[in-house]
Amino acid sequence: MIKKVLQNEGIQKVLQNPNTQIVLKFLKANGTLVALVVLMLIFSFADESFFTPRNLTNLARQATIIGIIAVGMTMVILINGIDLGVGSIVGLAAISVTMMMQSGINMWLAVLLTLILVGGGIGLWNGFWIAHYNIPPFIITLAMMTIARGMALVFSKGGSIPVEEPQFRQIGGAFLPKTLSAVVILAALVFYFYSLYKSLQEKKKYGIEVQKQDIITSAVIAVVGLGLAFWVFISYRGIPSPVIIFVVIVFISSFVLQNTKFGRRLYAMGGNEEAARLSGINIYQTKIIVFCVVTVLSALAGILLASRLNGASPNLGNMFELFAISAVIIGGTSFSGGIGTITGTVVGVFIIGVLENGMSLLGVPMQWQFIVRGFIIILAVWFDVVTKKKKG
Amino acid sequence: MGEIVLEMKNIIKDFPGVRALNHVNFEARAGEVLALVGENGAGKSTLMKVLSGVWPYPTYQGDIFIRGELKRFHNTKEAEESRVAIIYQELNLIPELSVAENIFLDRQFTKAGVINWSKVNAETQKLLDDLHLEGIKPTDQIKELTVGKQQMVEIAKALSLNANILVFDEPTSALTDKEVEALFTIIRKLKQQGVCMSYISHKMEELEQIADRVIVLRDGQTIGEVTPISEITLEQIISRMVGRDIKDMFPKKEFQRGEKVLEVKNFEVDHPLMPGEKKVKNASFSAYKGEILGISGLMGSGRTELVSGIFGALPKLARGEVILKGKPLSIKTPQDAIEQGLGLVTEDRKRVGLILGQSVLQNMTISSLETVANQWGVINKSKERSLANEYVSKLKIKTPGLDVTIDTLSGGNQQKVIVAKWLNTKPVVLILDEPTRGIDVGAKVEIYNLLNQLIEEGVTVIIISSELPEVMGMSDRLLVMCEGEIVAELSHKDATKEMVMEYATGSRKKEASL
Repeated sequence: MIKKVLQNEGIQKVLQNPNTQIVLKFLKANGTLVALVVLMLIFSFADESFFTPRNLTNLARQATIIGIIAVGMTMVILINGIDLGVGSIVGLAAISVTMMMQSGINMWLAVLLTLILVGGGIGLWNGFWIAHYNIPPFIITLAMMTIARGMALVFSKGGSIPVEEPQFRQIGGAFLPKTLSAVVILAALVFYFYSLYKSLQEKKKYGIEVQKQDIITSAVIAVVGLGLAFWVFISYRGIPSPVIIFVVIVFISSFVLQNTKFGRRLYAMGGNEEAARLSGINIYQTKIIVFCVVTVLSALAGILLASRLNGASPNLGNMFELFAISAVIIGGTSFSGGIGTITGTVVGVFIIGVLENGMSLLGVPMQWQFIVRGFIIILAVWFDVVTKKKKG
Repeated sequence: MGEIVLEMKNIIKDFPGVRALNHVNFEARAGEVLALVGENGAGKSTLMKVLSGVWPYPTYQGDIFIRGELKRFHNTKEAEESRVAIIYQELNLIPELSVAENIFLDRQFTKAGVINWSKVNAETQKLLDDLHLEGIKPTDQIKELTVGKQQMVEIAKALSLNANILVFDEPTSALTDKEVEALFTIIRKLKQQGVCMSYISHKMEELEQIADRVIVLRDGQTIGEVTPISEITLEQIISRMVGRDIKDMFPKKEFQRGEKVLEVKNFEVDHPLMPGEKKVKNASFSAYKGEILGISGLMGSGRTELVSGIFGALPKLARGEVILKGKPLSIKTPQDAIEQGLGLVTEDRKRVGLILGQSVLQNMTISSLETVANQWGVINKSKERSLANEYVSKLKIKTPGLDVTIDTLSGGNQQKVIVAKWLNTKPVVLILDEPTRGIDVGAKVEIYNLLNQLIEEGVTVIIISSELPEVMGMSDRLLVMCEGEIVAELSHKDATKEMVMEYATGSRKKEASL
């Protein structure tokens, strides 16, 4: 049936039209981004309170907590690993930081100790088993998922921990003042165009072909994205602190993946671990670092969450591993490693965030939200498989 | 020779952008072995996939006649029913299952849906007996058998389907000499039984032994007629294959042998699975500047283990002294080896050499990122690109660009990318394990020229090859390995093919001095 429609002469003509070709190419390269825009449009029409600075600010605050974990998860999945323990680490970190403060430890010291002990410690432990004994990450982190959750319950004796330190609330709950926010966003725009100009010059210098369409696409996305951020944050209360932290983490990790030896090694290991080993890559060390990065970021997410809620319960972060993994997969990272980007993951994070926020606004019951989310994952992977097949 | 049982007429098969088969015509008779030869990419395997229904009608054009009847297979099952079977290059057996389970996969003898295992095993035994296959039991697990025996099981499976048109797709590429002999015995037996066989091979010397007639494919076309093997010389076959005479297949240059660069003493590698057994026993040798050192030996003789061990790729299994320019090295990982000046082009390009799915650029610089990065590990992308472009022009790598995935390049060009990757680590010694496996004749010569170029640049080169003419044609000195031992060291002037084979097969013993 579909074949017949496609063979229809009129449709063939439209398909061969150069403008259609450009649109198709754009869809293929930016499918998830288009999906995000469409989702936002749907929710905007369905509920008038969706597309308001207040709601979008809240959406950003919530989504970025998952986003911070998803950045680490991207690296883990890139090297053909997985970390199922991140949700429990969020809970354990939240309990750890609040209990330390309760026992009189200085706030910043408590944050630092939590990052090192809960984040770094668990990461080293996971990485050691995975790198040294070659145990599948799925199993080691599955075990850690229950161990960390159990520890959170043991330490907190099953109850919630309140926070008395008033400053703690600021870490994950503060807003950058409006004027400063405006300056930051405008600076980001200037920086974007400066680096675009630099990279064009570099390409010219080395005679690398420049795809006009790609540059226009990326410039439009940047201007629209930053414009939207400007409108949302300036007309409400400024940029929320978790968003700032998220942007910094995204920026650094994206740079590391694209521009450093370490990043190159991750892609190589995910593409073919044995070839990477025989090419002189220290697989052992790299694996341990990557599994530490994801747990430290999860611990950070736990601290931010506890701060925003001004207290911790041992069940915080429940199911976060599934949200983070979904975001990474929706963002186009290959589950078998070697392919993926941080920017893709960011789009995936917002798709998950918009879905959750929009469906809650519309009053969709929790159980239906789960089902929809599941189908979105299947859809994303299907899209990935179909577009890849065409290329081959 | 019997009647014509297989006829393929005007076969055309198109892939996007390429015509893989272009009006291919040939016929084969009962009780003969028809050799189908051609360079890689000439269309041999595609042709056989058309024959066996892997490419179903109508994805190709043309007619296939089996025993005079026009056949249009829509799937492999229909081809099987017409008694056509292919023994593939990559064996299609399930390693975890037994011989009998594989042979009667999905056609076990059942009673009310319950499998009668004793009957399945008995029938399998009968098949194995018919082929005089000793040392294989119906209950053996496939993964415990050698590749040679697995191939015999494939043949038994084909015969159990009553196949009388059998296609062998490069059957000997992974076999030892003994296994090849056993295979040929079976082929001769099948010939007497009137089975029509088509034999795809790269190895010229096999054709003389086993083929009755030969047909050459080049760029998807048949070149010349089907010719009895007695009426054509190997040179003529090769010239049909490449479309030109390769007078100088091995462009060996003579160099002045320089200082001793690498010395390996008492090197041993343990067997990874069998405690107490050794893959490499007490190996000692030296390599010099300005020479190509060849290592020859049959598959499984320990060649690959020896060089992988030296390179640090077999941690905990390998031990022995490695001395580079008079300095003893401590190599525990490939990383150590690279830092100290060794490079290894691995045997299995696709599996452990390339990072498939990633770009030419990424594959080329992965071993030497520090040459394009600053002290913080940040890569200077423009520097990386210009470096890669230099190698592309220096090694004449044919690629549409640096950003295409390595998968899209031909085997020869993939291999050149790997050589470039190692050259950029500035190796003192470069070891190449089977550098020309699976690449076509033209590209082979380019790789040989590259070896000469390496020597001129002062790199010490060690090559391992299963192809005797290659390793003898290119090396100045030749080590022969047999069952984990270095049994002979020959200069390329003294070595004869027969002598090397005698050492390699163990029929001539090692001399006391070694």
